[in-house]
Amino acid sequence: MKSFISKLNIKQKLAAVALLLGIIAIFAGNPYKDAYAKIDTKEIALIIQKELDHITAEELADWIIQGKSDYRLIDLRSEKEFEEYHIPTAENIQLTMLSDYTFLPAEKIILYSEGGIHSAQAWFLLVAKGYRNAYMLKGGLEEWKDKILFPTISQNPSPDEVKHFEKIKEVSKYFGGSPQTGKEENVTIKQTLPKLEMPKQVTPQVGTQKKKKKEGC
Amino acid sequence: MNAPFFKYGLFGDDFSLVVAFLIGIGFGFFLERAGFGSAKKLTAQFYFIDMSVFKVMFTAIVTAMLGLYYLGVLGLINLSLVYLTPTYLIPQILGGLILGIGFVIGGYCPGTSCVAVSTGKIDALVFLIGVVAGIFAFGEVFPLIKNFYYSSDMGQLTLPQLLNIPYGLIVFLVVLMAVGGFIGAEFVEKKMKK
Repeated sequence: MKSFISKLNIKQKLAAVALLLGIIAIFAGNPYKDAYAKIDTKEIALIIQKELDHITAEELADWIIQGKSDYRLIDLRSEKEFEEYHIPTAENIQLTMLSDYTFLPAEKIILYSEGGIHSAQAWFLLVAKGYRNAYMLKGGLEEWKDKILFPTISQNPSPDEVKHFEKIKEVSKYFGGSPQTGKEENVTIKQTLPKLEMPKQVTPQVGTQKKKKKEGC
Repeated sequence: MNAPFFKYGLFGDDFSLVVAFLIGIGFGFFLERAGFGSAKKLTAQFYFIDMSVFKVMFTAIVTAMLGLYYLGVLGLINLSLVYLTPTYLIPQILGGLILGIGFVIGGYCPGTSCVAVSTGKIDALVFLIGVVAGIFAFGEVFPLIKNFYYSSDMGQLTLPQLLNIPYGLIVFLVVLMAVGGFIGAEFVEKKMKK
């Protein structure tokens, strides 16, 4: 065996190495890793139609007040926006980093962005990767502001609405918001975002987002 | 650390030009060392006297393929971010034929002509002027041939997708094809030299 190998010249040895690597490749699997995923489009459509894909701002507020810790709240906005304000208990993960991020299989993941579009897209990515407990915050941060931080009540509220507003007012104060009663003098009050009181969250490293360029030779 | 570095934002546009320059220099150096700065050596390929072009290019393909495959398997490179030229089948077949005809007539391909110019070959300089003129002419008539240029679009196609064969098996088959090709090439060379 040894003498056989020594008889080969360098080219033949290299060819043998290439062949060996080629044979191993048959069993080594797919190099594309998790970048590609298969999805059950019907199942996803069903989840969306049944509205099992999102939670409302009020539900989330309740959870935070109750001190629940069985969820992870993901802020998809930029680091700068995150520094300015984020929903308490949120952590900042950018959309591009999300696909490299591994959550526990059964973890409840709640996504939010400024509106609802980015979180919906991120939700799709996570579901495609097999995370079945991913949810979006309905209406995103905008709705959080409208419903929780600066809730309003209509001009002629029904008793039910008044009752609900009384409750929301407490919730709003908890989060440092300022409920708008809808009266004239209140309308002009500037809505200032509350100072962050919760301990600062660890921010994962943020990749720079590049514009798509034309490439190739 | 994950590749591709540029796509992951490890360096910007400016530095990417430096990287491209260094890779270009390396590419040119090895083309020259393989003897590809000589039109005689290059055209000998088409008469099956000297199969160096075939052997060098196929070696490069196999090396790159094995490298990318195993880096991908090990998770060091994200292959879905590596750029693939989209396939436009018919225009690319025609383009390949035009390039091949130019190769036989001129004695160089665009890359090797640059290599030969750098070692002072006059014929290569003429060839390179022709290349630049061709690029200019192509650019001028592009609006007229645009529809054809983008016809038979098949997207970014890879052999495993096209043939629906596992990726690893394709790697093995290409290596097998290369080694077989090398043995065949040496055989042809010996025969033609007689």
